[in-house]
Amino acid sequence: MKVEAIEYGDRRVFTVSSFNRGVGDWLSRLPTVWVEGEVTELSRQARWQSVFLTLKDPTDGACLGVTMARGQFDALRLELVNGERVHVFGRPELFEARGDFRLRALSIERFGLGDHLAALERLKRKLAAEGLFSPERKRALPRIPRRIGLVTGNDAAAKRDVLTAITSRFPPARILVAETYVQGPRAASAIAEALREICDAPEIDVVVLARGGGSFEDLLPFSDERLARALAACPVPIVSAVGHEQDLPLSDLVADARASTPTAAARLVVPDAAELSARLERSRTALARGTRGALDRERRRLDVARDHLRRAPLLVLERRRAALEQSAGRLRALSPRATLERGYAIVRAAGKIVRSSSQVASGNRVDVELGTGGFGANVEETR
Amino acid sequence: MTEPSFEDAQRELEGIVQRLESGEASLDEAITLWERGEELYRLCSAKLDSAQGRIEELARRVEAVRP
Repeated sequence: MKVEAIEYGDRRVFTVSSFNRGVGDWLSRLPTVWVEGEVTELSRQARWQSVFLTLKDPTDGACLGVTMARGQFDALRLELVNGERVHVFGRPELFEARGDFRLRALSIERFGLGDHLAALERLKRKLAAEGLFSPERKRALPRIPRRIGLVTGNDAAAKRDVLTAITSRFPPARILVAETYVQGPRAASAIAEALREICDAPEIDVVVLARGGGSFEDLLPFSDERLARALAACPVPIVSAVGHEQDLPLSDLVADARASTPTAAARLVVPDAAELSARLERSRTALARGTRGALDRERRRLDVARDHLRRAPLLVLERRRAALEQSAGRLRALSPRATLERGYAIVRAAGKIVRSSSQVASGNRVDVELGTGGFGANVEETR
Repeated sequence: MTEPSFEDAQRELEGIVQRLESGEASLDEAITLWERGEELYRLCSAKLDSAQGRIEELARRVEAVRP
């Protein structure tokens, strides 16, 4: 379409009408799109040809005027009321008489909780099929992380709750906090970006993704596919502490562990410092006891050895005495005294035992030894 | 040798205690173990006492994503 301009020297000037027409023409060439928003300022009057409403972005309140032919609108039988979430299919349009930009709706669909749930369920099945939630993917959390990353909303309460829970359980905890948007259409990519940044920081051994409770829609960013994939790709283990026990955003399923309260998150990422100290003290006591035990055992062994040592000479002596006694006994058994007791006598002449009468002659002096005592005698005759 | 982490030190200390309590260590070994155990205990205590908790903010990020 030709847009007419008036020339004033080298200046081309448009009339309002031609300008609006030109822009309107340009706008009308843009493609048709779906736009999601909340219905506000809905006005439908029988005498008007069009129905007007304003679509509001629930995140930041951005507004967009929408018109739709009344006949078309009525045919949809939507019974729309203000505050409802809708998807509007249409194309941008300029109301030339007023220079008002708006969306010319061709169709409107109510987008409710049910639609969100259905979309979420489809995504959940898809990610599950890819194995993103499988238990084998879950990594163990460090027992004592060098540094903890905390990705949280710029909502003071949730952040403070997690920080307090961690530091009261483990005062030496070192925490790096990344605040980010946790609500609205930008939240998912903002959280993913914060996650990447925090993982790039040195010594981060675990990351807690925290978000206080909220409505189903508030928690939707935590079920966003981009965030789910960012969590799955995260190089450090992640604890998802999003919403309450009954909420189960996809982040909870992809994360390595989930916590339904800040306290539960703290229990997962840090040890109890008091318990740690107590355990250390017990170890030390056991160490002293164990060492004393080894000393005592060694001492007892030594005592036994010393006793053996002291008894050794006595033993030798006793053994010798026993040997002596035995010899003496044998000696006594060989002695002729027993024979003498039976009535035999030993006769000695000049100190030698007389075994033959040829050894003596009459008149010789002999000594006679008896079993008891003895006497001297003279030989009277020999035979 | 680099200083072991708290976890490693604690694990080694508990291993030493176990060895000592088993009663299998000779006197020489027991004394060596005890000395090492005390050293590990001091290390762990110091780590617990001296470790300063610290909370830092990754500050620029909110600005970066603000519309």
